[in-house]
Order: sequence, then structure tokens, then C-alpha cells
Amino acid sequence: MLSTIVEQTVNGIVTGSVYAIVAVGMTMIFGVLRAINFAHGEYYMLGTFGAWFAIDYLGLSYEASIVVGVLATIAVAYVVGQLVMRRMVGAPAESGVLATLGIALILQNTIILVFGGGYKFFAGGYIEPVSILGFSLAQQRILILVVCLLVFIGLELMVSYTRLGMAMRAVSQNVECCSVVGIDVPQVVLRTFMLGAALAALSGVLTAPVNVSVYGGMGELITFKTLPIIIMGGLGNVRGTFVAAMILGVAESLVATYVGLQFRDTVGFATLILMLMWRPHGLFSTQARF
Amino acid sequence: MTGHLPLLAIKNLSKSYGAVKAVNDVSIHIDRGEIAGLIGPNGSGKSTFFDCSTGLAKPDTGTVVLDGQDITGWSLNRIAREGRMLRSFQKTVTFKSLDVEENLVIAGQMFTFPSIASTFGLGKMSRRRIDGLRERARELIKMAGLWDVRHQPAGNLSGGQQKLIQFASMLMPEPKLILLDEPMAGINPKIIERVVDTILYANKSLGVSFLVIEHNIDVVTSICQRVIVLDQGAKLVEGLPGDIIQDQRVREAYLGG
Amino acid sequence: MSLTETAQQVRRRDLRIPLAAVLIVLALAAPFIGSRYITHSLIIALIFMLPAHGLNLLVGYTGLLSLAQAAFFGIGAYTAGLLAVTYGTPFYVNLIAAGAVSGALALPLGIPALRLRSTSFVMCTLGFVIIGQAIAKNWISLTRGDMGLSGIPKPYFELGPLSFTVSGTTNFYYLALIIGVLATCAVWAIVRSPAGRNMVAIRENETLAESLGVPTWHYKLIVFMISAVFAGIGGCLYAYYLTVVSPLTFQMYYSTTMLIIVLGGGAGMISGTVFGSLLFVGLTEALRITPELRMIAYGFCLLVLVFWFKNGFAPLINRFWNAIGGAK
Repeated sequence: MLSTIVEQTVNGIVTGSVYAIVAVGMTMIFGVLRAINFAHGEYYMLGTFGAWFAIDYLGLSYEASIVVGVLATIAVAYVVGQLVMRRMVGAPAESGVLATLGIALILQNTIILVFGGGYKFFAGGYIEPVSILGFSLAQQRILILVVCLLVFIGLELMVSYTRLGMAMRAVSQNVECCSVVGIDVPQVVLRTFMLGAALAALSGVLTAPVNVSVYGGMGELITFKTLPIIIMGGLGNVRGTFVAAMILGVAESLVATYVGLQFRDTVGFATLILMLMWRPHGLFSTQARF
Repeated sequence: MTGHLPLLAIKNLSKSYGAVKAVNDVSIHIDRGEIAGLIGPNGSGKSTFFDCSTGLAKPDTGTVVLDGQDITGWSLNRIAREGRMLRSFQKTVTFKSLDVEENLVIAGQMFTFPSIASTFGLGKMSRRRIDGLRERARELIKMAGLWDVRHQPAGNLSGGQQKLIQFASMLMPEPKLILLDEPMAGINPKIIERVVDTILYANKSLGVSFLVIEHNIDVVTSICQRVIVLDQGAKLVEGLPGDIIQDQRVREAYLGG
Repeated sequence: MSLTETAQQVRRRDLRIPLAAVLIVLALAAPFIGSRYITHSLIIALIFMLPAHGLNLLVGYTGLLSLAQAAFFGIGAYTAGLLAVTYGTPFYVNLIAAGAVSGALALPLGIPALRLRSTSFVMCTLGFVIIGQAIAKNWISLTRGDMGLSGIPKPYFELGPLSFTVSGTTNFYYLALIIGVLATCAVWAIVRSPAGRNMVAIRENETLAESLGVPTWHYKLIVFMISAVFAGIGGCLYAYYLTVVSPLTFQMYYSTTMLIIVLGGGAGMISGTVFGSLLFVGLTEALRITPELRMIAYGFCLLVLVFWFKNGFAPLINRFWNAIGGAK
């Protein structure tokens, strides 16, 4: 009994890591743009498709496919960022919702149109399990955990020590001041957006071996999982998002095992609504604490 | 008996923001038909005091009694609608995309319609009320000198004109007391004259009492019958405008702070 | 414009009345002019116009961005479906019940939700849709889960000795048209009322409205409930048209479609919502191209709206309407 709980919790932490990497991108984008990116899950999907394409069509190794997937997504994000996201600075909330919805529709359906809507098999990854503390855990899952930690440590360093990081903090705190001080806000938005998309893609490529099936509509579910996380974690709050993602990952895992698999995907929003009723201002402060 | 009861009696009002005591145990009263001034250097707590009295902020301690009724803790809209005490904002605010007349009609609506449900009606009663409001709006528009632009969206008009709209709006519901937060800030002298005239008209002919936060000493001396001075959140002194200007403590507060 | 022209002051004819007449004739004769597929598209457009009207009151007039319409749409659909299948109650009873139940549920949902700041509010309303779908899927004893409710009978009217069953696309079109016109009139009445003016005040500047005595929180809640009623009625119509209700009635895609109708048509304008339904729902239904292409075009359309038509297409329509009104 105990071993099952621990096993499920570990699985939950792995899932949480996946969500965390995706969610942190979305929350950073919100921080600088004050817009919810409804297309965020699509970059996760694009990363996965890029990697799958690299393996299936180009015959590359899994390691190379990771690079291909992330780079391809960055390229797409660059185009979307230049044409759309940069121009959303200062736009009302409705515009952000419609624009990102539009992008999601375009990205999702273009992939389906080009590659077909069926499920594809992802053939790469380290799916060999290893034994840790009496549990059998696929190597890929450990990789996800490690990468997640590295990502968050990297973000903490970036935000404190790099020019981009400090610019991101400035923009998320006070946009008007930034242009006065000489920070190129649209440029910061573009770079943050590309970073966020890249992280989502990375998460997708790392998770693909575990999920095994790849399909055009997979991004939508990820978007739905990520939205409650960034609200609960505090919009723009990187550390809070990490915690919220972990909580959701573990909660989903436990609910799936002990309550019923059919409820798993509802845990996110159910928890969110309960939290909003109880603590309308979020679990953590929404001050952008990059 | 009731003639001696002040219109507005605020007792022991205090408000702290964290460690900063913005308003410290302030008690003032406003008599019926009076125009009183509230002055003090920047940071003396005047705006916070207003916010606490009108429901925009919750005071930590103290009571606010309007015309014999305890309105402490009432919401902004309840104070306006039931208490008939209105307040202006430092920034000139109007309903920018609506024309002048609409701005005024909205200002008067909640006072002619007895309930929320009644505002959904389109029947004769409702139309008659709206017609009455329009008539009153037109009178106020004429008095404010805005007749020629009455069909223009408020956002298209100058800052001074919007100030007049804001002012006229507050006269629509036949209020007992209006709290003005720096009404002359940022408008040119011509319009200042107009606003002063409007305040005096409202006071003499419509019986509206006023409490005015103002920095312009000329305006204060010309319209206020009594002046209250705040400094660092506490009441320093109050009295006639002429005496206050001479008062040594007041001068120190403005220069020393 | 040459001097001679202005001097002659050519009086252009007011073309609005003839155009309105033509539109009315088209609306009445649609099933006989167009194909069955076009009539179907119009029915879907009319069905979605109802929750869109409600959303317009919320977004366009009161300034509250909500994604909850699909939740009330689904609640209305299930209410009507359950009543029809379980008790066999007549259509108009189910229609009223659908609206009433949706409106009633909007009260306990709206009270906590309206305390939230705008972004949290949007997410909370989205959550209602998702939870709604989860409930529909899992409360199997009530909703029959994924199987859904099927076999909803055709609407049946009885007026004394006369009885009439609405069967067939053409008849359903007229039913939808009548309900659509009535709903549009209802929204128009609300907007024209003093309450409508208060809603606009809340949208323009909530604190100013508050300082003028408008109980903003109450109005927001009331509008949230009214908008749910419209969505519920739309849901009932949807249930009867499809004769099947399933958990898929609660989908975010519906909420976003309704939002697109309102924002794309023109928020804060009734004509915007009407036009928006025709354009975004009617047209997309009617276009017989692959669904993926349709969605891509839809996506680009949204981007066009955001960048070039921030206020929707309604201002364009208005200009056109005024232009043909003739200048003297």
C-alpha cells in the first residue's frame, strides 16, 4: 500500500516536472505581456512533432531529434512572435485571447493537414527502466526530473544575472517605466516568448517517449492543464508555478489511482476553482518574482 | 434641535497602511449649508481621509455619521445612493464614450429609480423618470455653459469641460453633501471661475454643502467659510480662512514639511 | 465633387427601408431559396446567436469577459433533454425551464466568481465549462454519461384544438427564427432600459459609476444570470435540433465561438451579434471545405479581427447602413 503511494507520488512528480517546464514558459509570457497564451500547448506539440519528424523522416537519433524539435519550435515562435506577440503589448485582454486562440487553430490544423490527424508512434527515447530504491522507473522519467531542475536553476540564474532576465523583471513590474528607461519592450516580449515556447517544446520532446503517441491535437490538453497551474502559482511567479505544477502532478497521479482515471484531467480546474473560491488572490503573491 | 446637528460628523478616524499612519484620530464636522475647506501639505492624509469617509477605504477606527445616520463601513454606492453624499476624484473622470447629456442622465438614474428591478422597465413610469432626468440635465448643462457641446462624447472635450461635466453630474442627484478632491487641479483660470460659480450656485440655490480639498489659496479664501488643516495625518487647526492663513503653525507645516 | 454637383444637391434615395425589406423577405423565405444545407447553417447560426446575445450583454455592455456561456448552454441542453425524455413535458415548458435552471445556477456560480480579478475570472468561467463536462460524463445516473440522452422528441405545440409538430429542417428554421427574433427584442429592451445605461457606465468606468450610486456588483451578478438564461434557451434549442445531448455540449470551443461572435461582430452592438452569428457560425457551417482548412481560415480571421477590426465588423456595417441612408 505504502509502496504504491510512493510510486504514484514519484510518477506525479515526474508529471509535475513536465507541467512545470511548460507552465513556467506560459507564466513568464504573461509576466511581460499580461496576456494568457492559449496557444502555448501547441508549442509543446510542435516540439514533439519536430522530434518525431527527425526520427521518422530524417532517421536521426533521439538526441539529435531533441535539438531539431526545439529549434523548429523556436523558428515558428520567432515568426509568431514577430508578427503577432510583439504587437500585443498594451492590448486589452480580449485581443490576447482571440489572437492566441487564432494562432492555436492555425498551428494545430496545419500540422493535421500536413501529417494527418492520426496517432503517430514516437520511436525514440530512453525507455529502459532502472531500479531506484526498489522502484522501477523508466530512465526517461529521471531525465525529465533532472532537466526540470536544471531548467529552474537556470531560470533563477538567468533572471538574476543576465540582461534579458533583468529586463524581463522590469517589464513585468512596470511597462511604462521601461520604455522611458530605454528598454525595448517589444524585443523583450519577443525573446521571452521564444524562450517560453522553447521550454514547452523541450518538455514535449522529453515526454514523447513516455507518452509514445503523437497527434496534432495533443497541445490542447496541455494548454488546459497549464492554465490552472499558472493561476494557482501566481501569474508571473516562477517559483509559485513550480510548486503548483508539482502539486497538480502528484494530485493527478493520486486521483487517477485512487479515485478514478476518468477524473484525472479534471483535477486541474477543479482544484483551481476551489482555490479561487477560498483564496481569490492565489496561493502565492502575484507579484512577479522572477 | 436638528438645526444644530451637523450634516457630517466624523469622529476619531484612523487609517494605517502597514506601518504608516495615514490618518491619525481625526474628528471633523460639516454643518448644513456650509462650504468647508480641507487643506494641508502633500502627504497629510487628505485623500486617505476622503477615501475612508466615502467608502473607498475601510477606516481602522472611527465613525462617520451623515445627517444623523451612521454610515461607517457603507459601500461607495450606498453612501451615494442612500446617503446622498457624493465625492469627486482628483483625476477628471467622465464616461468618455457617452455624450454630455448621457453622462448626466446616468448620474441621476440611481436616485430616481427606487430599485434595481425598476431600472429594467421600459414602461411609462420609467420613461417619465428619464424625461425628468433629461430636463434636469439640460438645465445643468446650460448653467455649466456646455449647451453647444452637449451631444459630443465627453472624451472629445477639453479637460476643463470634462471637469464641468463631472461637476454637473454630481449635482444631478440633488445631493446633501459633496466632497471635492482638488477640483481646480490642472485647469485654466477661466474654467476655475466657472467652477467656483457653479459651487456657489449649488450651495446658495440648491442647498448643497461642500467639503473641498484644495491647494489654491485664492479659491479657498473666496469660497470656504471654514477651513480645516491636516498635517501628517492629524488635525492641526481649524477656523476662518483669514485666520488660518496667518496661523504660524499652518505656515510651518507647509514650509517645514 | 464638382461645383455643379453640390449646387444641384442631388438628393440620394434612402435605401435603408428597401434593404431592410429585402433582408426580411430573405429571412422568411430562406428555406425555399437556399438548399437544405444552407437552412441547416442558418439554424445553427440562430441557435448560437442566443448565448451570444447574453454574452454581448456581459462583455459588450458590462465589460466582463466570460467563457462560461458553454457551461450554461450545456445546462440548458441537459435540462430540456432530461425533461423531454423523462417526463415528456411540452417544448415551451422545457424552453422556459432550460432558461430558468441556467439562470438559477448562475447565481451560486456568479457570486464567488465575480469577486475575482479579470484574469482569474476568465479562468474560473472556463473552469465551469470543464467541470460541467466532467459532471455530465460522470454523473451517469442522471446524464447517462458519455452515451448521452437521445431520442428527444420533436417540439410539439398545442393551442386548444390546434396542434402542430415541428418536424423537418424547414419548420425548425421558423421555430428558431421566431425564438431568435424574440430574444433579440428582449436584448434590445434590456439595452434601451435605464439598466442598460448603467451597464454601459460600469463598462466605461466602474469606480465612477459606483460613486454615482450604481450598485455595480449587483448589476454584474444580474447580467451574469441574464446571460446564462439566454445561453440556457440556446441550449434547449440545440438539444431539440440534434435530438441528442451529450457531454460534448460542454466544450470550450463553443464558449470561444460565442466570444468570437460577439467580439468579431462588434461588442456592445446588437446588430454586431446578429451579424457575427451569421458570419462566424453560419458561414463556417456552410463552407464545405475540409475541417482543417476551415479552422486555419478561422484562425487567420481571428488575427485579422484583432489587428484591423478591434471593434468588430459592426462599425463597418453601421457606416454602410448610414451611407445608404442617403444624404441630403
